[in-house]
Amino acid sequence: MATPVPVLRLPKGPDPNSRGFDPNSPRFIALCRTSISSSAASDTDSEQLQKEQDARSVLREGFLRCLLSMTNKKVQFQMYENVKVEATFGASDIDVLNFQVSDLHTPIGVQKEALIRCQDVISFTFEV
Amino acid sequence: MMQCGWPLMGPLRWLHYLNKEVKVRAGKGEEHRGWLLSVDPVSASVVLVSFGEAVAVRVVMGHAVEAVEVLRAAADDETAKRLRSVFLPPPSPCLDPKELRQRRDAVRRWLQENRIPVEEEGEELKVAGVLTIAAPYSAHDCRSSNQIILDRIQRLIGIQDCTNQGLPL
Repeated sequence: MATPVPVLRLPKGPDPNSRGFDPNSPRFIALCRTSISSSAASDTDSEQLQKEQDARSVLREGFLRCLLSMTNKKVQFQMYENVKVEATFGASDIDVLNFQVSDLHTPIGVQKEALIRCQDVISFTFEV
Repeated sequence: MMQCGWPLMGPLRWLHYLNKEVKVRAGKGEEHRGWLLSVDPVSASVVLVSFGEAVAVRVVMGHAVEAVEVLRAAADDETAKRLRSVFLPPPSPCLDPKELRQRRDAVRRWLQENRIPVEEEGEELKVAGVLTIAAPYSAHDCRSSNQIILDRIQRLIGIQDCTNQGLPL
């Protein structure tokens, strides 16, 4: 008779309704230590927290629209050590830690696809 | 790298800088001027826009911001209007009510053919109780908090649009 195989319970996936912004979610704790969490003061005052969350969503929407309008456009990145590179913007990750770009023009040639680390970038610019 | 308090200010204080003309000092002596469109609450990055020959947008990463100084506290009407529309998609052409109704019926029938529960709610279509499609009922007009359903319905509508236009799938 075959021995029964113990059933593995897989870890619960990410909460489909939030994006990991909840500072108590395991994903946030694991990945977003560099992200800015909500202020300590708002923990005690729910009205303040609500205002902060409203501000957060307005600001984030503005930023996401900026990223959206950047897709497939030529972007000039100003990095540290006086490095300036140009590339076609592809996408950003949710925590703005990496940018995926194509046709990255570097001093040693053109890189077809590349990931730019946001920590290395001072600023970047493009035309709408 | 010395870091100023910018990333720690929080969304409520960042909101105060919205639609003001600012000067941002960043990195090694860089200075950028522009109208502040937004500050990303996740990375504290500042989105600046300047209106010259072309509309130029500069984003200064939050970790690189040294100082932010307000130059002009309010924009004139013309500039305020331009600021609001920088990242908005171009307004879609207005269809007349009859065409809209035909389009709505076509999308509803297509979803029903694909065994997807859909109801009309006023001018909008409600799909499976969790997704709303507003006029003019294209893939871009779908709104839902469920990513999987959103993706499926967008693809389905996309297929219908491609078929209608005779485009390859």
